[in-house]
Amino acid sequence: MSKNNQNDIDLEGLQAGIAKPNRRGFLALVGVGAAGVALAACSSDNATSTTSTTAAAAGGGSSTTAKAPGTTAPSGGGDLEVAALAAGLEVLAVNTYGAALDAATAGKLGAVPPAVAEYVTTAKAHHQAALDAWNGVLTGAGKPAVTEPPKDLEATVNGEFAKVTDVGGAAALALMLEEIAAATYQKAIPTLQSKDAIELAGSIQVVDAQHVAILLFVSGQYPVPDTFASTEKAAA
Amino acid sequence: MMVNEPALKGLIEESQDLHSDAMREVKPALAGLTELHHDAPSEPLDRPTIDRINGERSTLAGRTTSALAGAGLLATGIGASLVALLASPASADEAMDIQMLQTATSLELLAVATYGAALELPFIANGNAVVKTFAETTMQQHKEHGGAFAASTKALGGTEQTNPNAKYLAVVEETKPTLAGPGDVVALAMALEEVATDTYLANLSLLVDSDAKALFASVMGVECQHLATLRAVNALVAAGDAGIALIAIPTDVAALPAAAGSVAFPKPFEEPDMASPPAEGAVK
Repeated sequence: MSKNNQNDIDLEGLQAGIAKPNRRGFLALVGVGAAGVALAACSSDNATSTTSTTAAAAGGGSSTTAKAPGTTAPSGGGDLEVAALAAGLEVLAVNTYGAALDAATAGKLGAVPPAVAEYVTTAKAHHQAALDAWNGVLTGAGKPAVTEPPKDLEATVNGEFAKVTDVGGAAALALMLEEIAAATYQKAIPTLQSKDAIELAGSIQVVDAQHVAILLFVSGQYPVPDTFASTEKAAA
Repeated sequence: MMVNEPALKGLIEESQDLHSDAMREVKPALAGLTELHHDAPSEPLDRPTIDRINGERSTLAGRTTSALAGAGLLATGIGASLVALLASPASADEAMDIQMLQTATSLELLAVATYGAALELPFIANGNAVVKTFAETTMQQHKEHGGAFAASTKALGGTEQTNPNAKYLAVVEETKPTLAGPGDVVALAMALEEVATDTYLANLSLLVDSDAKALFASVMGVECQHLATLRAVNALVAAGDAGIALIAIPTDVAALPAAAGSVAFPKPFEEPDMASPPAEGAVK
């Protein structure tokens, strides 16, 4: 995140720590979310909205200009369905991180540690880049860009976000989203046909899994708890 | 049921003749097949090489078809199967899958050895508790990754790789005497984890076997977390004693420098620029 953006956030009186996320709550939410995304994947309406996302890419502490792996339009319909699903998830992530930044700026999350503020801005920019990449795949194949998240999952996340009152709660929600995203990409990879789509999904899976590790660390948990990454929380 | 023994004997003899004819004609083809379906060819199995191998297979399939047709065996089960097998490009791709699995195993074996060596260093063994736990846990995770890759290798008919990656083993051995503190060890581990992550990422679009592909995606999802954690730890170690004190679980989030929120993932897309070639760690 840029220093200017960081200064916009209340950094006074930094909190001593972040509450551990409620993983049981995550799982319940993931279950609802998975159903929602699965429905979204089956609905062309969710991929054809022209409503623009409210979130804009922010300049993060890390590069957001790295070239995405090839975004040549895949020939298979299955790849395009995955692209639309992925883009919808990315819209949701961008919007959620944007909302977290807005809430932090408004002082609704209490004091925000600088590392957390930096993380949120960086992760939001990463997801915006991923969204742009997937939309490049879709528009390259003559499909409309995805600009809205899956409705059901969005409603669920918004409901959970309404309960967030501090940085710990926001981190917990972010962790849930990142776990879903990483698992969704991991699950999709063996099903994808296009080389470019596989490379793009893999390159994003890596970064989302890394988001998970750092969120676990700042949440007071071991950053690499699993020996093998699971697809259990995948959205479809 | 009545059995016509003379007729049965005749059929058996005819079958044996057919088998002899088939084997006589097929032997050269089998030799070619064996040559093509090896674990580790003398050259790296990149795309151009695979295209060439598949071209050779196509030529061999054509010769075999002619030979089998000349012997009247083309319509038999073995003739049809052999022609189909030779006409298929799958064998070369399967061989490449095996090589990637062997290379992955070699990287995992090297990681296990490297973390093991690190744990014998006094500034790791008696140093920061989280760093030590990370080294122990990560070593065990790499051991299990190596076991999984080895099992997949054998499932695809390949030979298990039992040696660490020679290329990076040389790098590790060269670096070992220079490891003077936690930062040095973390930097070395970062390099190995990035090689592993990038290798598995690059392999995803090359693999044919879907189970192997799922395994690579799963392990990649863990190696990249090792890398992210090490990047964060590296930044804290570089900050001196105050930073090292923050390498704790739970940590003092409020005291973390802002960079801790971004240093672990410098780009929005991982680029496999440190990937090992598929055949780098293949069994010779």
